[in-house]
Amino acid sequence: MPPRLNFWSACRALSLQTRVFAQGPQPGPAAVARGLADNTTSRLPPHDNSSALPPSMLPMNQQPTSSENEAALNQLRLIEYGLNPLDPAVEGHKYGLPELPLPTEKHTKHRYDAVIHQITRLLMRDGKLAKAQRDMAMILNYLRTSPPPRLDPSKPLLPGAPPAHHLPLDPVLYLGLAIDSVAPLVKMRGFKGLAGGGKSLEVPMPLRARQRRRTAFLWILDVVNRKPSKGSGRTMFPHRVAEEIVAVVEGRSSVWDRRLQVHKLGTANRANLMNANIKGKL
Amino acid sequence: MSAPNCLRCLLRPSAGIPVSSLPRSTPFALVRAAPFTTTTANPRPKKEAQADGKPKNHTRAGKKLKLGKFKKEKVGDRGRPPLPGERKAYRKRITLSNDNAIPVPWLTDLGSADLANPANMARVMALPVELQDQLRASEAFKPTQCWGMFRKPAVLVRKETVDLANRMQNAVDKRQTLRLVVTGDKVTGKSMMVLQAMAHAYLNNWVVIHIPEAQELTTACTEYAPIPNTDPVQYMQPVYVLKLLQAIKRANENVLARTYTVNPHPELSQSVPPNTPLLALANAAKEPDAAWPVFQALWSELTTQGANRPPILLSVDGLAHIMKISDYRSPAFDLIHSHDLALVRLFADALGGAVQLPSGGAVIAATARNNAPRTPSMELALAQREAEQARAEAQANGLDPNAVEVPQKDPFFRGYDDRVEAVLRSVQVLRVRGVDKLEARALMEYWAASGMLRATVDEKTVTEKWTLAGSGVLGEMERAALLTMRI
Repeated sequence: MPPRLNFWSACRALSLQTRVFAQGPQPGPAAVARGLADNTTSRLPPHDNSSALPPSMLPMNQQPTSSENEAALNQLRLIEYGLNPLDPAVEGHKYGLPELPLPTEKHTKHRYDAVIHQITRLLMRDGKLAKAQRDMAMILNYLRTSPPPRLDPSKPLLPGAPPAHHLPLDPVLYLGLAIDSVAPLVKMRGFKGLAGGGKSLEVPMPLRARQRRRTAFLWILDVVNRKPSKGSGRTMFPHRVAEEIVAVVEGRSSVWDRRLQVHKLGTANRANLMNANIKGKL
Repeated sequence: MSAPNCLRCLLRPSAGIPVSSLPRSTPFALVRAAPFTTTTANPRPKKEAQADGKPKNHTRAGKKLKLGKFKKEKVGDRGRPPLPGERKAYRKRITLSNDNAIPVPWLTDLGSADLANPANMARVMALPVELQDQLRASEAFKPTQCWGMFRKPAVLVRKETVDLANRMQNAVDKRQTLRLVVTGDKVTGKSMMVLQAMAHAYLNNWVVIHIPEAQELTTACTEYAPIPNTDPVQYMQPVYVLKLLQAIKRANENVLARTYTVNPHPELSQSVPPNTPLLALANAAKEPDAAWPVFQALWSELTTQGANRPPILLSVDGLAHIMKISDYRSPAFDLIHSHDLALVRLFADALGGAVQLPSGGAVIAATARNNAPRTPSMELALAQREAEQARAEAQANGLDPNAVEVPQKDPFFRGYDDRVEAVLRSVQVLRVRGVDKLEARALMEYWAASGMLRATVDEKTVTEKWTLAGSGVLGEMERAALLTMRI
């Protein structure tokens, strides 16, 4: 049974410290701003002695003890009048407070663009993330120093893409656009033995954005790994990747054919979605 | 090419869509696409099964004997293999402009007095075209520097730059030689300081002889031969010297054409009478065999006292490599000291103060931090010179000079080199540190105006990059702001 809630039980639950503790460290401006949070004495609303509390439980008469307290009390008075004495963007911060909510690039784990983040990890070999990041920086650097791409109208980029001469100055967009443009929409999923005669039933499945990008970039990496490299040294691999990215945007890359092939297969097999055997398995 | 599928979606011609709305060139009837159906269970179109051209009648799908299945997959034709040196040339090529970058309107070209003018401190200034050609001919640009990002090459005029240019100017005014070693931490801009010194020299019509990589002289990668009638034996490096001569010729064409020989040079195979332009003298070397005598003749002409000679700048990058025992061997298979290589000796003598330049000039050497062998004598000597400078400065400021301790030799260490110590006994040391925030801001404004830094340049950003770069180390600032994944 819960204890009865009345005034006396509430008073018993209170622990009052009537004496001032030993002097702590001087409250800093932040502490003052918090409204005397480090004042060690508890404060109760003033009440008259008619409540018949025992004298030991009566709070001591509170006097401002220091200039900080005085300042804080003045601020409280200002608050009472409806003014705001504390502007946290000004008070105690050299460069002000950041605006909330924090933009995603301020977060350690999301500081890079989503596409860049994903693709850097796809570039990574043997767990060497820092090397992959350096490679990615070199790829972006190559993209912004190479001449603007000559777009191929038969291999259109995503709708809403900026004109070609805008791309080199925004290499992140350039890379993302290339990858999103060749990304396939579907993949084929094989259901074993459902097509009759031991053959698997190929059913097109839609891909999520991350999956699409992954597939597209793995195709690009396939092409890159088959290409001979021109230079030597640490820029060798990133420059090959970047050349392939430019080839994709210019419509010269064989990745486009691969995408087309997958889409053809997808449209050819879309009837299999209605197959009775896979009902409930998707 | 006409794709049976739309490129952006999975749209395919079917009865529901009017033909006119489809972006295709093939007639509708020719497209071999089946109408939508739910009856087929065969996912593969027939054409694909017969794609390899073999009849499928007698082969069964299933297990087949496959010989050599563990063989490596054959890599396709990789085309022509690169020629010797081609890959290195690709790696070392230098691009000085980026057409994508936005031209910076307030960028002004360097004039002859600009680098020595304190008013230009913390300003970014462009290199004029002819200066670019001169610097390129003497290989002052390095592939690791970020020249290829901006519309035209530009340099930040730092406090140290103005200091160095003024020292050079003072030395020439008094017809003395400035002997100076530029040192500092990694990527603080030591090579760039040498480049700026060279730019100052070229703009003021000095003769500049620059050795871009000292390691090429001592790592035994270029030919060498003993010089006859020398005791102790000295060695010349004919191929390198020929290359150096050609670089000198291309970079200093104007000055050398205006300077004339005063002495006859009977030792040369080609007759060079007095009053010939030095350019013609430098042209006399056509093959490596003649290179060293020609270079010697050119050097003796340039240092002839009493004639009207331009000031000279000798500069080298990577000093540690020529302050050690080289990788070359003598006929007795002993290692040759770097200072026994004639070209290095010439430079070391000049740095040590043994050569009197007729119109004054400067000998500037820069240390390197990444590619540098351990040279205890050089490190000690530079630390000592630095401490002595600090002492002199303390004395000038009325402080106690003894508070600065001059490092001493370790008595139990044998690896010191007396010849190196003798060379570095009286050089000045210029330590390059990070830039201050004003300079950092000027640089970042230039980056942002070029479109390479996509951020607002305010106090916060500048402080952020400056701090990330270890108190404004320039190379680190570039890494933090330009060579990053966050653009």
